[in-house]
Amino acid sequence: MDFDFSEDQEQLRDAVRKWVDKGYDFERRRSIVNAGGFDRAVYTELAELGLTGLYVSEEHGGMGMGPVEAMIAMEELGRGIVLEPLAQTLIASAVLQTHAPADLQASWLPRIAAGEAIVVLAHQERGARHHLDRCKAEAKEAGGQWTVSGTKSIVPVGDVADAFIVPALAGGQMALFLVERGAAGVKAEGYVTQDGSRAAEVAFSNSPAQLITQNGLTALQEAADIGSACICAEGVGVMDKTLAITAEYMNTRKQFGVPIASFQALRHRLADMKMQLELARSMSYYASLKLKAPEAERRQAMARARVQLGTSMRFVGQSAVQLHGGIGVTDEYIVSHYFKKLTQLEMTFSDTLHHLGEVSNRMQDTAGVFA
Amino acid sequence: MDLAFTPEELAFRDEVRAWVHTNLPKDISDKVHAAQRLSRDDMQRWARILGKKGWLGYGWPKQFGGPGWTAVQKHLFEEECALAGAPRIVPFGPVMVAPVIMAFGNAGQQQRFLPGIASGEVWWSQGYSEPGSGSDLASLKTRAERKGDKYIVNGQKTWTTLGQYGEWIFCLVRTSTEGKPQTGISFLLIDMKSPGITVRPIKLLDGECEVNEVWFDNVEVPAENLIGEENKGWTYAKHLLSHERTNIADVNRAKRELERLKRIAKTEGVWDSTLDGPSAGRFRDEIAKLEVDIVALEMLVLRVLSAEKSGKNSLDIAGLLKIRGSEIQQRYTELMMQAAGPFALPFIFEAMEAGWQGNFPGGVVANAPLASNYFNMRKTTIYGGSNEVQRNIVSQTVLG
Repeated sequence: MDFDFSEDQEQLRDAVRKWVDKGYDFERRRSIVNAGGFDRAVYTELAELGLTGLYVSEEHGGMGMGPVEAMIAMEELGRGIVLEPLAQTLIASAVLQTHAPADLQASWLPRIAAGEAIVVLAHQERGARHHLDRCKAEAKEAGGQWTVSGTKSIVPVGDVADAFIVPALAGGQMALFLVERGAAGVKAEGYVTQDGSRAAEVAFSNSPAQLITQNGLTALQEAADIGSACICAEGVGVMDKTLAITAEYMNTRKQFGVPIASFQALRHRLADMKMQLELARSMSYYASLKLKAPEAERRQAMARARVQLGTSMRFVGQSAVQLHGGIGVTDEYIVSHYFKKLTQLEMTFSDTLHHLGEVSNRMQDTAGVFA
Repeated sequence: MDLAFTPEELAFRDEVRAWVHTNLPKDISDKVHAAQRLSRDDMQRWARILGKKGWLGYGWPKQFGGPGWTAVQKHLFEEECALAGAPRIVPFGPVMVAPVIMAFGNAGQQQRFLPGIASGEVWWSQGYSEPGSGSDLASLKTRAERKGDKYIVNGQKTWTTLGQYGEWIFCLVRTSTEGKPQTGISFLLIDMKSPGITVRPIKLLDGECEVNEVWFDNVEVPAENLIGEENKGWTYAKHLLSHERTNIADVNRAKRELERLKRIAKTEGVWDSTLDGPSAGRFRDEIAKLEVDIVALEMLVLRVLSAEKSGKNSLDIAGLLKIRGSEIQQRYTELMMQAAGPFALPFIFEAMEAGWQGNFPGGVVANAPLASNYFNMRKTTIYGGSNEVQRNIVSQTVLG
């Protein structure tokens, strides 16, 4: 039982933090949001930091790192509310590495690691809400070639990604496919989401696809859990910075002739934010450290972590705006952007109520970190 | 980063588990698991069993006869005791005053007082709060005037937990009114059999007399019972408060009580929505939230332990433990009471005794203590520095 980070891990944290502080300031971010919510140049910078190859094995040109390193990277990106979707890259690398045939791995993983190819998960369907097993997209095989048809919503950077990981029913069973955006019959309509990042509606019409795995639901559940661990880590980073911004504001903003930090009602709200942050950080550690546990244990841990994170992110975001007063609800000032990021994170890869239902269904007689 | 305990720590846990399993009297653990009333004898019997093994002072270093355990070992010991249904160790002697005697007492005081604390023979009480000094403890007024080789003590302490059983009491007393209030306080050990001491139990909202008022009327205390230097008592008291930070969260007891809550929910039909309808499902979700809260608190405790293990500063999170732990204690007692619903309402004082043979309304005598426990637990966010005072401290660490 040890929650210290190794020297290498601390170096990784420092490197990402330095890049965020120097290379991704609020003005650059704002210009990216105004330009549509994604900047390929930024993504290339993430690749130069090695982050796009974080999960990719060394054999395929990556760093072969694990969930703790991923957590560190996501926390630091969260501090800068970075728009470019590293979590998607982590998910895609893990899914391909664990489930895809060797030739598919060899053709995509080195490019993913190098930041040359962006592969994202396209799983959300209108009728499915949070049920990963509900899927209307279908796949057909003819003459050794698979094709996929269906529509996926809110696909991160869906109109700039190079390829998608697409769940589709093949003979009634969910399978995962890789479909290139440039393939025939693929149509992506992009838009900006509430946190300023980019997404798209992606329609597939008899689009040529490559089979990743027939064991689609298991793989999709793994992908969603990696996504949840990323959300926990990113959320911790966003909240950590939100708390710092709020504390600084309270120390400088004066009313009634004194800094508002002197008012007890406000101090107690800030103390509650700190509580929520540290409970969330604790559960983010828990999520990342359980990511490689057997499925039932992993699923239970992710659901528990997401309940905590959802509660914390909502409280910290709303409180930060409240403690700022009027300036907290402006677009000009930074804190509203942190609030919107926290809001969007809570609603990604299922929301708090869904995860609470999972915790509730999975309850045993005993409970604890080790039970 | 690693969630698992080391093989050595796990072996230690197994050793403690086996020992507790063999040595904890079943009549006592049955009472604890059912939240029935514990007598002075129950508490002291367990203290003496631990004392004989050398584990009552489980946080003590070896040089004072303790086991010299690490922070993780102490945590594992507390966990095994809690899950097995051991009564909480009455902390005033082994956990609170002993570390102060070790750190600031002289050799004579250490030889005189520590053996009786370690063995569980001597019952200690705490004399801190006064009617006019709650959160503002440093304003305390109980006077100790030096007359020759004695102090003459006059004043009143209150909220003295289990003080009706106390044989000795450690007190903060005012020895000077010069300067800041904190600099005129001394730390005094007082024999409760001394002439001039009156103890009056205070009946609480659950009908129990868990705390007491203690009056001092010209009580003569030998000057040799002063710990350390006169007027330095506040520093010693703060040292005491900095001890055993993780224990205050009581997460291990919370895990045990969560198990009990689930048993109650099953018995009372608020567990399975397929059997008992949507409100049962909603109740179950409230238990699920509590389960998440308890796991999160346990992770927070483990983080503090890990920081202590590697010698890192964990002060910014240790201050959160009391707040969260006390809120959770209140929450599980609240849910237990709500689970029983109307059957938590009959107030039959005797039904909380083990072996009571009467008919409890509804036929489930296990429901008898639920409301009382709920009422009793309101104390947790008040004592030990109210949660509002704790929030002041936390906000200070955030604001710098």
